[in-house]
Amino acid sequence: MSFFGFDTALPRDRASQGGNRGIFDTPDPFAEVARAKAQAHHAGDDDDVLDFEDTYDGLGDRLNDDQDAFNEDTFGDVETGPVGKDFDFFGKTAQVADVIGEEQVRYNLKAPRDPVTAPASETKTTTGASSTVLQQPKRTGYEKYNEPGYIPDLQAKSSVWGLPKKSELAPLALSQARKMMSLEEVEAQLRGQGAAPMPGGPQMALPPHVSEPPHLQRPPHVHGLPEGFQQLPPEFLQAQFARGVPPQMLHSQTMGPEPFPHPAHAPNLPLHPLQTPNSPAPHPVPPPQHQAVPPPRGPHPQQQHPQQQPQQHVQQHSRGPSAQLPLITNPQQLMNLTEEQRVAYLLEDAKRAKRNHKIFLLSKGNGLMTPQDKNFITRIQLQQLVAAAGNVADNDSEAVLAEDFYYQVYSQIRGAPRQHPHQPLGHFAQTYLLQTGNRIGGHGSRKHNQSADNHMQRMQQQVQRAVEAAKAKPKNKQLIIEGSLGKISFGNAKAPKPSLNIKRPESSEGGKATKKPHTDLSLSDHKSILSNIEGVYNTLMELEDLERTMPPPPSEDDSEAIQKHLEWRQKVRALNQKLWQGLKVMEPIVPNSTTPHPFIAFLSYPKGKKAIPRIFRHIDQEQRVTILTMIVVHLDTLDVVRRAHPVPGETQPALPVREAIDLFSQAVMPSLLGYVSEAPFNIIIGLLGLVIAQTHVQFVARTRIGLGILTMLLSRAEIVKEAGQASERDWQQWVEKFNVLFDTLEPIFSDIFPGSINTGDDMYVWQFLAATGIGASPEQQQRLVIAVKDRVMETVTHSKTLPADMASQRLGNVNLFMRAIGLDVELLG
Amino acid sequence: MLFFSFFKTLTNQVVTIELKNDIRIRGTLKSVDQYLNIKLDDIDVLDLDKYPHLSSVKNMFIRGSVVRYVVLPRSEVDVGLLEDATRREAANQAGKAR
Amino acid sequence: MADTEDVGSSSVSEPLDLVRLSLDEIVFVKLRGDRELKGRLHAYDSHCNLVLGDVEETIYVVEDDENDQEIIRTIKKQEEMLFVRGDSVVLISPQA
Repeated sequence: MSFFGFDTALPRDRASQGGNRGIFDTPDPFAEVARAKAQAHHAGDDDDVLDFEDTYDGLGDRLNDDQDAFNEDTFGDVETGPVGKDFDFFGKTAQVADVIGEEQVRYNLKAPRDPVTAPASETKTTTGASSTVLQQPKRTGYEKYNEPGYIPDLQAKSSVWGLPKKSELAPLALSQARKMMSLEEVEAQLRGQGAAPMPGGPQMALPPHVSEPPHLQRPPHVHGLPEGFQQLPPEFLQAQFARGVPPQMLHSQTMGPEPFPHPAHAPNLPLHPLQTPNSPAPHPVPPPQHQAVPPPRGPHPQQQHPQQQPQQHVQQHSRGPSAQLPLITNPQQLMNLTEEQRVAYLLEDAKRAKRNHKIFLLSKGNGLMTPQDKNFITRIQLQQLVAAAGNVADNDSEAVLAEDFYYQVYSQIRGAPRQHPHQPLGHFAQTYLLQTGNRIGGHGSRKHNQSADNHMQRMQQQVQRAVEAAKAKPKNKQLIIEGSLGKISFGNAKAPKPSLNIKRPESSEGGKATKKPHTDLSLSDHKSILSNIEGVYNTLMELEDLERTMPPPPSEDDSEAIQKHLEWRQKVRALNQKLWQGLKVMEPIVPNSTTPHPFIAFLSYPKGKKAIPRIFRHIDQEQRVTILTMIVVHLDTLDVVRRAHPVPGETQPALPVREAIDLFSQAVMPSLLGYVSEAPFNIIIGLLGLVIAQTHVQFVARTRIGLGILTMLLSRAEIVKEAGQASERDWQQWVEKFNVLFDTLEPIFSDIFPGSINTGDDMYVWQFLAATGIGASPEQQQRLVIAVKDRVMETVTHSKTLPADMASQRLGNVNLFMRAIGLDVELLG
Repeated sequence: MLFFSFFKTLTNQVVTIELKNDIRIRGTLKSVDQYLNIKLDDIDVLDLDKYPHLSSVKNMFIRGSVVRYVVLPRSEVDVGLLEDATRREAANQAGKAR
Repeated sequence: MADTEDVGSSSVSEPLDLVRLSLDEIVFVKLRGDRELKGRLHAYDSHCNLVLGDVEETIYVVEDDENDQEIIRTIKKQEEMLFVRGDSVVLISPQA
C-alpha cells in the first residue's frame, strides 16, 4: 500500500491483474494516459531539460501494489465526491463527456502551438492518444444501427462475470499499448543511441532489465521492486513536503514512470505506416502505440481499433509482461533540474494528474459493457415493457376487467367517464342495474324505498289491469253503498278482531302446524349453505362472462362460425346445469323435516335472495316454474314468512326480518312476478292448489310476502280469464280453489293488515283485497266488504288528517280495492 | 387491485379518514394510488382542539399505511357490485396462487 | 377472468375462502388497539382490507375511577359504510 495514495501499481501488474478481474474491479484505463500526458506536456514545455527518463526514480517499481484498494479510505476521495456510483453508467459517461470535450478543445488549442518540433510531435502523439481514449465513450456502440439491415449479434459477455474476456480488453489494451511503446522506446534507444546509456544521465535512464523481451512468460511481480526504489533520496521527499507539494503532486511525479516516448524517439514514427489514416486526432498524428510497437510484434496495427477488435488484445495480453519492462528511470534526473523547473514541472504534472485521475474515476465504468451487452439489456427491458403493457394491449378488456372490475362497471352504471370506453361492459351494467334496488339496499335509504315502491307499483299494475278488465264486464250490479259500507250497525267495529285471532289457524290447519318447528341451522349447515351460494355466484359470473363472449350468430355457409356457436352453446348448457345443481332446487322435499330444504335455506340468506334475479336471467321457463313451485310449496317456511309475525307487543317484525322482507320483495318477487304474469292458467291453478294444500294459508296470508304471492296468482288468473284464455274446465277448477281460499281467509280478512292504521304501508293488503275482490262472486264480495269496511272507513278518515299527497296515496290504495268490487272511495264522501 | 379500483370510484366524494393515531380528517378524496395513499382536499380536522397543528392545513397527502378507517358515503357504494368484484378478485388471487 | 369454478362450491381450501363465505353477511372483526367491529362484509382482499356496511365500532378504554380502580369503558360508534385497512385487522369471524 502506498502511503501517499499514489497509484503504486505497475502498469504491467495491473494489466495482468486485469485478466483476473471481476466485473466490479475497474481497470484504470487513464492512469497511464494521465502519466503519459503529464510527461508529454512536461517534455513539451521544458524541452530537453526535463525528461521522463530523468524524472522517474523507479520508486514505483518497488511498491507493493496489491493493497491499493484502501487508498481512498486512507486519503479520502476528495476529488470525486461521493463514492458508490459504480453502476451509474450513464451518469459516468455523461460526466466524462464533458471532460472529453474539454480535452479535445485543449488539444486543438495546443496542437498548433508547436507543430514542428520533435517534443511537440510527442505531445501531439500523447494528446492524440488520450483523445483516442477519451473519445471512446462517444462511440455509442449503436452506429451500426443506422444501417437499415443491421441485426446485432446478441450475446451476454462472459467477461462481465469476471472471466478475462473481451470487454475488459479495451482499457487493458491501452495500458498495454503504453507499455508496448515504452518497449519500443527502449529498442529505439538501443538502436539510435548505442548500448551505452549513462545510468545517471539526464537523457538515458535505462536499467538493464528493461530490455528483456525474452521474459515473455514471466509473472509481472517478478519485476515488482526494482532497485531504483531505494534510490529515492529521503531528502528529496522532504524537500517536496517543505514546499508544500501535496501528495497528489508527488503521486504524479513519482508515479510518472510512464515510459513515454522521449523526444529522441520521434524518428521512429515512419516505422508505422498504418497509423496515420486511423488517427482520430484532427492532426493526423499516430497514436503512440503504433510508433512504439516494433514490427516483430505482429498484431499491433489492429490495436488502433481496440473496441472493435478485442481479439487482438487477447493476443496482446497473452504476451504479458514483456511489454511492460522498460519502466525504470533515474530519480537523479529530477535532481538535476533547476529549482524553478522542478517546481514548475511538479505543479504542471500535478495538475494534469489530478484531472486525469478525475477522468479516470469518472470513467470507471467505461468499457464494462459492450454495445452488445447494452443491446442485450435493452432487449430485456423492452421485453418486460411489452410483457407488462402487452397484457393491456392484447386482451385489453379482459385484463382491465379482472384488475379494475369495480371501477369499470361502476363507471358504466353511474355514467362516469371510463378509461376504456370501448369495452363491452353494457352487459355488466345491465346485470347490476337489474339489482338497483338491493345494491343500495338496507333500511333508511331513500333510494331503497323508491325501489321497493317500484316493485309495489309493478304489482299494482298487474292488479290494476285485472281490475280494469273486471270492470269492463261487471258480473253483478252495483252494490248499494248504504247497504254495505254505510251500515255501521252491522259491525261492532272492534269485535271481530279478538274473535278472529283465537285458535282458528290451529283448528283449521292443525295438521300442518308440525311444519312450523324449526331448529336453527347448525354452524356446518351455515357453512355449507354459504358455500353453496358462493358456488352459485361463481357459476353466475362465469355465465355472465360467457354471455359477453357470445359469438356472432352464424351464417348458413360458415361452418367454422357454426362450430363456434355450437361450442359456445354447449358451454352455456354445461354452466346452466352447474348452476341448477348448485341451487339444489331438485333436492327431494323431506316432509316434516326440521331442517329446511336446501333451496329454501339458500333463499334465507340475503345474497341468496339477491342471486334470484340473476339466476332467472340464465334459466328457462321450466326451471323458473320449478323455482316458483318450490317457493310456493315452502311458503310458510320461507324465513320472510316464518319470521314475519311481530313478537307480541310489537307492531312490526324485528328490523333484520323487515330488511329480509324488503330484500325479498325487491329481489325475488319481481322475478316471480315476471314469470307469473306470463304463466299459463293451469300452472296458476296448480300453484294456488299447492298453497292451499301445502301451506298454512292463514299464517301465510298475514305476511307481506305470502299475500304478495297470493295476489300475484289471483290477479293473473283474473287477467287470463278476462282475456278469454281460460277454458271452462280450467275456470271451474280455479273457482273451486278460489272458494277454498276465500273461505279459509274470510275470518282473518280484517286481520291481515300490518299493525294499526298509522303504521302506513298497507298497500300490499289492498292489492290483495282487490285481487280477491275481482275474482269473488257477488256474494263473496259482500262478505269481503263486510270484513274490511272498518279498515276502509278508518283509512278514509285517517287520510283526511294527512298531507295531500300522502292522503291521495292512501286513498288510492283503498280505491284499488273499492273499484275491484265496483265502488269508489269518493262515494264514501 | 380491488380497493384501488374501489377508491377510484370515490374520487371527489367527501370521506372521513381516521388515522391510526386517532386523528380524524374529513375532506374531498382527490386521488388514490395502488398503495391506497390518499390525497385529500378541503380538509377539516375533527377534534381540531386536540390537534391544533393541523388547523392551517387545507389539503394533504396521507400515506396509506397510517390509515385505520375511511368512512365512506353509503350512497356512492354499489354494494352488490362490490361483492361481485370481491368474488372476482378472490378468484383471480386463487388463480394466481395455483 | 380467471377461472372461477374451483373456488366456491363447498371447498374451503384457503383461509380467505372462509371469509368469502361471509360476504354479504354480518361479521365480527377484531382490530388492533382494543377495537371491535360488527357489520356486513361487502368487500375484502388478501391484505384483509375490508368494506363493512352498517358497522358498529366498539372501543375498549381502560380508565381509572375515583378509587384508582381500573375500569373498562366502552365507546360505541356507528358508521353506514366503512373501509378498514387490513393491517389493523386481527381476526374476522362470521357472526352467525
